[in-house]
Amino acid sequence: MANLISEPTPLTVLSPIKNGDDGSQTFASLTRKYLQSLDIHEKSPMAKVPNTFLCRFFVLNDVFFEGSPGKVDHLKSKYLVFCCNFHGDLNTYLREFWQNAQQEAQKIWRHCVAFEQVHDAESFIDYIKKCELNTTIYFNGSTGLPLDEQLKALYLKQEFSQFACEKQGLSAEALFEAFQKFVERTRPADLTGPTWKPGQNTL
Amino acid sequence: MPDQHIDLNDIQGNIVKAYGRFGYPKARYIFFQFHDVEAGRNFIRDLLPLITTGRPWCKDQPPSATTNIAFTYQGLKHLGLPTKTLHSFPEEFSMGMKARADILGDDGESSPTEWDPIWHHDKYIHMFMSINAKSLEALEERYKKIQDLLKKSSGLVTQLRGHRDGQRDDLPYQEASAIFVDGKPTPTEHFGYQDGISDPYFKGSGGNPLNVVGGGKPTRGDPATLQGWEPLETGEFILGYPDETKELPIAPVPTLLSFNGTFMVYRKLHEKVKTFHDYINNVGKDFPGGPEAVAAKMAGRWRNGAPLVLFPTREEANAFAQEYEKARELAATSAKGKKRYEELRLKRTGFNFGNDLAGSRCPMGAHIRRANPRGCLEFGIKDAFATPGALDNRRRILRRGLPYGEVTNPLSDDGEHGVIFMAIGTSIERQFEFVQQQWINYGNDFKLSNQKDPLLGNHDGKDMFMIEGGSPDNPPFFCPEIPRFVTTRGGEYFFVPGLTAIRMIADNLIDPT
Repeated sequence: MANLISEPTPLTVLSPIKNGDDGSQTFASLTRKYLQSLDIHEKSPMAKVPNTFLCRFFVLNDVFFEGSPGKVDHLKSKYLVFCCNFHGDLNTYLREFWQNAQQEAQKIWRHCVAFEQVHDAESFIDYIKKCELNTTIYFNGSTGLPLDEQLKALYLKQEFSQFACEKQGLSAEALFEAFQKFVERTRPADLTGPTWKPGQNTL
Repeated sequence: MPDQHIDLNDIQGNIVKAYGRFGYPKARYIFFQFHDVEAGRNFIRDLLPLITTGRPWCKDQPPSATTNIAFTYQGLKHLGLPTKTLHSFPEEFSMGMKARADILGDDGESSPTEWDPIWHHDKYIHMFMSINAKSLEALEERYKKIQDLLKKSSGLVTQLRGHRDGQRDDLPYQEASAIFVDGKPTPTEHFGYQDGISDPYFKGSGGNPLNVVGGGKPTRGDPATLQGWEPLETGEFILGYPDETKELPIAPVPTLLSFNGTFMVYRKLHEKVKTFHDYINNVGKDFPGGPEAVAAKMAGRWRNGAPLVLFPTREEANAFAQEYEKARELAATSAKGKKRYEELRLKRTGFNFGNDLAGSRCPMGAHIRRANPRGCLEFGIKDAFATPGALDNRRRILRRGLPYGEVTNPLSDDGEHGVIFMAIGTSIERQFEFVQQQWINYGNDFKLSNQKDPLLGNHDGKDMFMIEGGSPDNPPFFCPEIPRFVTTRGGEYFFVPGLTAIRMIADNLIDPT
């Protein structure tokens, strides 16, 4: 993994999808159809995978045709691409992925070559590592702190902005009292809540 | 063997299969309107399992009926496609066929005001559906299934009426059928010509590789052999693949919407049978060979399908046609018969005009020479272009459709009979419109000034058609005062999405950002 900074950890995985079809649709089409049926944001199955900052799945049909006089190249198969950034080390992340979203992982990768050999967290880790690509440049949308800290920070930032807006112009005493209530309600040191849910993108 | 990089499961079946020739002689064309975005999407989602794909039938039991759908620009708008996506469609598609009447030559009795009532309103038709079937029973069964799905929309998707059949002008669908003789479907249309003989053959279509002869693009090899032709590039007919320029065709965004899709032209073309027969009979009085030869010279083929280039006399053409028909019947029963049939098939398609540059066999202005010049636009100048098809490889169209109506009175032009003509290609403007405007209704590219296609041109009774002679004892013959034999009775431009794209439209997943 070509990760020169410690956090967040990027991951790019290309898993070949089996050629062929189920009698009416190719395995690549079925994979795309399943991916497009997944919920997003806090309802996404990836919201259950701890410490996922952002991720994306898509089906890569082929290499891009570069036009004349370029040689026409084709991939030998279509690929399921999974890109993400997360907090922590890869083994822990993938183990927790399997532990928290095993069913979804099995559905997402079900048409990929050799995925039938994946039956537990360790074989999932091995499989993903075999399909892993060096990630040399990626969209870094996060500080790299653990996800629960970031979610709490986002929650506090939004709540505090609201507080500042609502309470402007109060006397020092009234402001102090209001702030004490604010702290009681938002519990800044408590990462378990109140906070944003993983995957949440707006209040 | 289909190109493994082309997913025929994701391509609608009417693009790669001319159903009529695959044993589906009955068809019904239906048009719909969406009154509510969700209802439209739900209807399409329900239709998805019925849609016939391009998957080769050798793998499965062929269905008894097929179903395919396509959308107008207005239809896509009413299905809630994003503005950015709508704006990425080609202008001719968003304008629609009526607005292109000047380009297409739809004037006079072909004017949109004369079309069937269903075409009279603007922004009216949203979706096209074709059902092709092996029998009328199978057609009715599939139609009923569609009606059941339509009922679920509680009137928020409506089937549009307004097709004419001679008695009524408010029919809810356009019926079409191969013309049956002695209970058997024939490949002829109402003027009596065999139709649809050379359809373009492209990479990955999954069709019989022999169809490349006459259907592909010309090389400099012998046109009677496989060496004389190469498959056209897929991108001429299906979006998302390189075309003849070695570039990807211009396509709407996002890519997944256009990938494996294409555009389709639908036209209802009325055939004036009496006018046609009167004309060839009258002119045939003066032309050596008589009316049948006039008909052959206008088309470039004898009415039995034999090309003039290879069969210049009626006797040769008839002898060939008889042998061909016999071989066609025997093809199903023995390997030897099949081989003979395939040899004879090549005689209908394996030719160009290289040995007939003066048009002494097939006139320069004959229909097949205009619609598919087979590399003859080099006019015999050696290596005029890098490839002999440089001027015509990008003007090819897949032709689909069937005749409609019956000729109950050959002594009258009235009644409802003609051809439902469909043209498929990745650019309506570059392919269909160009052919219609420049090659059917004009003649300059063939050194024929403003002469029009004798059969399909929008004649006004003043045009003439020259049958070149080519030698002093065979002087040119001028067919004078050609009337309009074919008039337009309706039509529209459609987008034919791939299966993934249809599902994404139904699921509101089209995102061009």
